[in-house]
Amino acid sequence: MKYILLMSGTGAGVEAYHAWPKQDIEAHMAILHRINKDLTESGEFVATQGLAEPKEAKVVRGEKNGLPVTDGIFPESKEFLLGYWIVDVPTAERAYAIAGRISAASVNMPIEVRQFATRESKS
Amino acid sequence: MKYILMMNTMKAGRGVPSWPKKDLQSHITFMMGFNKELHERGELVSAEGLSFPDQAKLVRAGKDGRPITDGVFPESKEFLAGFWIIDVDNPQRAYEIAAKASAAPGPGGVPLNMPIEVRQVMSGPPPDML
Repeated sequence: MKYILLMSGTGAGVEAYHAWPKQDIEAHMAILHRINKDLTESGEFVATQGLAEPKEAKVVRGEKNGLPVTDGIFPESKEFLLGYWIVDVPTAERAYAIAGRISAASVNMPIEVRQFATRESKS
Repeated sequence: MKYILMMNTMKAGRGVPSWPKKDLQSHITFMMGFNKELHERGELVSAEGLSFPDQAKLVRAGKDGRPITDGVFPESKEFLAGFWIIDVDNPQRAYEIAAKASAAPGPGGVPLNMPIEVRQVMSGPPPDML
């Protein structure tokens, strides 16, 4: 079963992270690399990505003529996706355990865990 | 340049399956054609739909490192419904593709014009952090 683990945060939270001492950021990155390596070795790793900063985000709608209308103004409280991991695991509990490990490596940030849509989960 | 196009929904957005069957079919046909076109142009990296928000869990590590799960979310929370990752030459092309997804047909075949969040995907952490 494939799950996506979503790490989200506000624009202000990202600014605060940039102000961390360099050694703390390095330690944080080192643990995340270690988690990716462990997941690769256990065959559970599918993909991971970090996203560019919230200040570069745009929201797009199609207008009547089909041309894109972009907007980059968001409420302060909006949570942005910062990055994600996709894992292929036998149980939901295993996905939660991996999310817990990522959370522990990231100042106990909450990690949203969602299963990919399948025929079974849609019914 | 890789971009992720995110389709978000409110928790109440479980309404999609209640559309008339033919409207749901046209929506799905549109999405399949849309994905096929992106694939043929060599722009599609991946596309995934997520299960419904009522199955979402929020996980934190407890003091002993064990996962603590919670399924209660604020009413205002937006949930990711699905996403596309595309590889395109410039942000304008990403916006064009997002506008096309935005205009997917809804009930009665009327374009939904739903908002699609467009974000560049980073190829890796900044070199000074490796």
